[in-house]
Amino acid sequence: MSSSNINRPISRRNFLKWSGAATAAAAVGTGQPKVLHALTAAEGAAKGKDTAEKVFSICGMCLNKCGLIARVEDGVVAKLDPNPKFLKSRGMLCARGNAGIAQLYDPDRLKYPLLRKGKRGEGKWRRVSWEQALDYAAEQMKTIAEKYTRCGMLFSPGSDTQSQFVHRFASVFGSWNVVTHESNCLISRNRAYLDTFGEVPFADVLHSKYIVMAGANRFEALITPDSIDLMTARKNGQKLVVLDPRYTKTAALADEWHPVRPGTDLAFFLALAHVIINEKLYDADYVAEKLSGMEELTAHVQPYTPEWAEKETEIPARHIRRIARELAAAAPASMIYPGRRTSDYVNSTQIRRAMAIVNALLGNWDQPGGLLAARQVGLNSPSLPDAPWYDDNMMERADHGRAHMMFEEEGSFKHMRDAIIEGEPYPVKGWFTYKLNPMQSGANRAKTLKMIEGLDFMVSVDIAMSDTAWMADLVLPAPSYLERLDPISGLQGSAACACVATRVPAVPALFESRPVLWILKELANRLDLGEYFDFDMEWYRKEQLKDLPDAEKALAEDGVYYNPSKLYGIYEGKIYRTKSKKIELHNVRYKEMGLDPIPVYTPPKPIPSDKFRLVLGRNAMFTHCTTNHNRLLNQFMSENTLWIHPDSADRLGIGDGDPVVVKSPVGRESLKAELKPGIRKDTVYMASGWGALSKGLSGVHNTGACVAALMEDYADALSGNMAMHETFVSVARKGAA
Amino acid sequence: MKTQLAMVVDSTLCIDCKGCMAACKVENKVPDGHWRNWIKTDGVDFSMGETFSRMHFQPGNCMHCDVPTCVHACPTGATYKDEKDGVVKVDDRLCIGCGSCIPACPYGARYRHPEKKIVDKCDFCDHRRARGDLPACVITCPTKARAFGDINDPDSDVARMLKDNKTVRVVNRESDTRPNIYYMGATAPLNWPVKAQAPTPIRWWGDWAKQLVWAVVGINALGVLAMLGKQLFVNDPEPGHESDSTDGGKPVETEETDHE
Repeated sequence: MSSSNINRPISRRNFLKWSGAATAAAAVGTGQPKVLHALTAAEGAAKGKDTAEKVFSICGMCLNKCGLIARVEDGVVAKLDPNPKFLKSRGMLCARGNAGIAQLYDPDRLKYPLLRKGKRGEGKWRRVSWEQALDYAAEQMKTIAEKYTRCGMLFSPGSDTQSQFVHRFASVFGSWNVVTHESNCLISRNRAYLDTFGEVPFADVLHSKYIVMAGANRFEALITPDSIDLMTARKNGQKLVVLDPRYTKTAALADEWHPVRPGTDLAFFLALAHVIINEKLYDADYVAEKLSGMEELTAHVQPYTPEWAEKETEIPARHIRRIARELAAAAPASMIYPGRRTSDYVNSTQIRRAMAIVNALLGNWDQPGGLLAARQVGLNSPSLPDAPWYDDNMMERADHGRAHMMFEEEGSFKHMRDAIIEGEPYPVKGWFTYKLNPMQSGANRAKTLKMIEGLDFMVSVDIAMSDTAWMADLVLPAPSYLERLDPISGLQGSAACACVATRVPAVPALFESRPVLWILKELANRLDLGEYFDFDMEWYRKEQLKDLPDAEKALAEDGVYYNPSKLYGIYEGKIYRTKSKKIELHNVRYKEMGLDPIPVYTPPKPIPSDKFRLVLGRNAMFTHCTTNHNRLLNQFMSENTLWIHPDSADRLGIGDGDPVVVKSPVGRESLKAELKPGIRKDTVYMASGWGALSKGLSGVHNTGACVAALMEDYADALSGNMAMHETFVSVARKGAA
Repeated sequence: MKTQLAMVVDSTLCIDCKGCMAACKVENKVPDGHWRNWIKTDGVDFSMGETFSRMHFQPGNCMHCDVPTCVHACPTGATYKDEKDGVVKVDDRLCIGCGSCIPACPYGARYRHPEKKIVDKCDFCDHRRARGDLPACVITCPTKARAFGDINDPDSDVARMLKDNKTVRVVNRESDTRPNIYYMGATAPLNWPVKAQAPTPIRWWGDWAKQLVWAVVGINALGVLAMLGKQLFVNDPEPGHESDSTDGGKPVETEETDHE
C-alpha cells in the first residue's frame, strides 16, 4: 500500500503546532475574537511515548469529505479526530464523523458475498465465494446484454469516491442507463443555476452580511464549510432569515423565522425581485453590463407585489419589502442561499431559478459574500482507453425525454423507474447498485418494489444490508471508508480553500469485503472487457497527481494539499456559459423550448382540510437514510416521530407520544406523534431512514415509519428531480383509524 | 497559583449537532445509553410571535467543582479532586459502585457503568491530555463553542475569556458547588441543576466501606489506605481556587439562578 508513508506517528510538537495553525487560520479574516483552545500545561505530556499510529484520511459518513486523523492502536481504530489543517471542514468532525468507528466495527456489516435463496426480500441467503459470486453476476449481465441489448442493465452508484468507476464500467459495458442519487436530491438546483449563471456556485457564507435561507437547513443538514462559516459569520453580525414550514435548528438560531406556506417560496422570491426592481435597489451599471433580460423581468414581476405574495406565502408584505431592502443594502455581500436538496415540488427548478434571479439582481456573482465560481485544483484525469462502441445498442437512455432538461450523467430515478415498470421504450432488466438505497431515498417505495419485481437480475454492493440490498439477488460486501485506498479528491470548500485530499486505509479491509473497483475489474475480466480496466488504484492516484509535484508530500505530512488560486473576480473579462453569454434573468433556451423563460407563479395544490402536507428534512445525526442504524448515532434518536402541531393533534385527539397511523395515496405507516409548536398546522414531518424492511439493519428494521413508503412520486418538470413535498396525508390515532 | 482546568463555553455558538457527545462516547468508551456530556436546551416560546423567536443550546459535562458535593458523598475516597489539575476524578480501583455520589451531583454528571460496576464521569479526557491532546469534545466541536485550559494561568485563553467577558455559572441556589464551567453571558437554560442530595452519613458508611475496599484492593492496600484516610477524614478539600477572582483581582461576574 502506498499509504505506508502516511501512516506515521505525529509528534506531539507537530500536533500542537497544527492545532494552533488551524485555529489561527480559522480566525483569519473573520475579525472575531480569537477563541483559541489552550492546551493544559499537561503534566503527562512528557510522560510515556504515544505509540499509536495516526492516519490522515477523509470522512465518508456523508458526502462532505471532512479531514480526519484516525488513531490506530494495535491495529484497531480507536478514535477519529478532526484534521486541524483541513480548512474545508474547519478542523472539526461532527457526530457522524465521530461515529465512523461504529460503522467500521458494525456487527451488521456485510461480511461475505450472499446469494438469494428464497423469494426477493424474503431474507434467505446463501454464503458464496467471491469466485461464485462474480461468475454468477457476469453471467447474468451477459445474458441481459444478449437478450435485451446492453442498455438492459441499469447502474446506480451512490455519492461515493469510487462511484466514478461504476460510471466507467457502465460506459465500457455499453449502457447509457446510469441513475445516481442526485435526482432524489439536488439536480433542480443545479439546473436552475446552470441556466442562470452557466455554472453551479459555491456560497461564500463566511463573508456574507445577509443571507436568506429557504428550503435549506444548514445547522442540521451539515455542509462544510457552510454550516460552520454560517455560525462564524453570524457572530460577526451577519443577518440570517429562514423560511421553513418547520422550526428547524437553523430557524431556531436565525434572526428571523418565517413559517412560509409550503410550496409558495416562488411567490416570495418574485416579490423580492419586484421590490428590488421597482425601488431601483440594484446597481444599474452592473445590470447593463452583466445581466440579460432585465426588461422582460421588469415587466414580468409587476403583478408580483409583496401584498400579493403575502396572500400566497402568509409572510407579511411589510417583512417581504423590508427583507428585499435589507438584502439590497448589504449587496453584493448578501445572498439567497442556493441550498442543496431541492427534491420538493413539481416546479422545483423554477423555484430555484427565482432564487438565482434575485442573486443576479444583488450582483453577488463572483463577489465576496456572494456566489463563487468553481476553482481548479489541478488534478489530472488519468487517461484510460475509450469505451467500446456497440452497434447493436440503444441510442438513448431509457428515461430520455421524460423531463425537459434532464442531466444525462445523473438521470432521473423517478422517470427511469417508470420506464422500467412500463417496459418503455425498451426493457431494462438488470440493476447494479453501489452504496445507494433508493428503497429509502426515492419516493413511493411500493413502486420501487414493483420495479425490482420485474427485474431478471439485481446486484447490490454495500457495507450493510440496506433495504435496497435486501431486495437484491446478489449482495457483495464493500469495505467502509476507513479500510479503503481511494482516488484523490479535488475539493472546493467555498471561500475556505480549493484543495486535494485523499482517503487511505486506517486498517485493512475487514471480513471478505472488497472495494468496488476490484469488483468491477473482476467483472470486466469475466466479460472480456478487462483491457478497459487494466489499472490499479496506486497507478490511478499517481496519474491524478501528475501535475502537482508537491501534493504527495503535503498529503503525507498534512493530509491535505492546497493549490492557491484566485477566489473572486474569476469571471472578470470572461463570458458566462449561457446562450446569451450573460447572466440570464430571462432564459433564452427555455423560451426556445416553449418553457417559461422567467418563472411564472403557480399556486401549490390546496391541502384538503382533513389532510396535511408531508415534508422531508434532515438532522445532524443521520446522513439521509444511511446511518440510522449506526450503533452510536442510533442512541441520539432510536426511532422517528411524526411532528405535528399541538392544535392539529388536539383536533384529532392525539396526545404527545401517541401511536398514529399516517396514510397517503401510496402507503400507510405507523409511528409515534410528537407535538411540536414549531411546525405549521397544515404540515407534518418525519425523519427519513426508519421503518426499514431489511432485517440486516438492527434498530431500524420495523422501527418507526418509512417516509419513502408514504411519499408519492411527483417530479420536477424541467430536471426530472423527484418532488417529495407534493404528498398529502391523513393522520389518525392508532386504533381510531 | 494552582492549576485549575476549566471550560469557558460560548453556548450561543452551539448548533446542537451532538459532535461533542459522540466524540466523548467513542473516546471514553461510554456504554450504550449513557453519556458523560450533554447538550441542554430551553423550550421555544412562540407566544410573542414566531418571527423573532430564538432557542438556546447549552453544551456541558462534569463541572469539576471547587466544592464537589460528590467528593463529600464518596465513602471510599474513590472520588477526589486532583490537586495537580483541579479535575474531579474517580479512581476505578477504589470505587465500590455504591452510587452515593450520583444524587450528590447537582448536574447529573455521573452514571453507574453497567459493566465495570463503578461510577463513571467526565475527567476532561485525562488520557488525551497526558499525551498532549485536547479533550475529545473540545477538539471535535464544529463551531468551537468549548474553550479549555487553566483559568489560573493568566496567559491562557480561558483566563483571558473570563477577564474580557461577562460569564455565568449555572448553579442551584441551594447547592452552589462553585463549578468550573463558565458560560458566556447569554446562556440558557439556567434552572436545571438540582439540589445535591447528601448520602447516608459518611461515618456510618466509612466503617464497612473501608473493610470492603480493603478486601478488594488487597495488596495495594497501603497506598490506598493513605488516600482513603485522606479523603475520609479531611472534611473539605482545600478549595483549589477562589472562583470569584480568577484574573488577578478583577472579579468575574457570576450569576446564580433561582431554582425553586
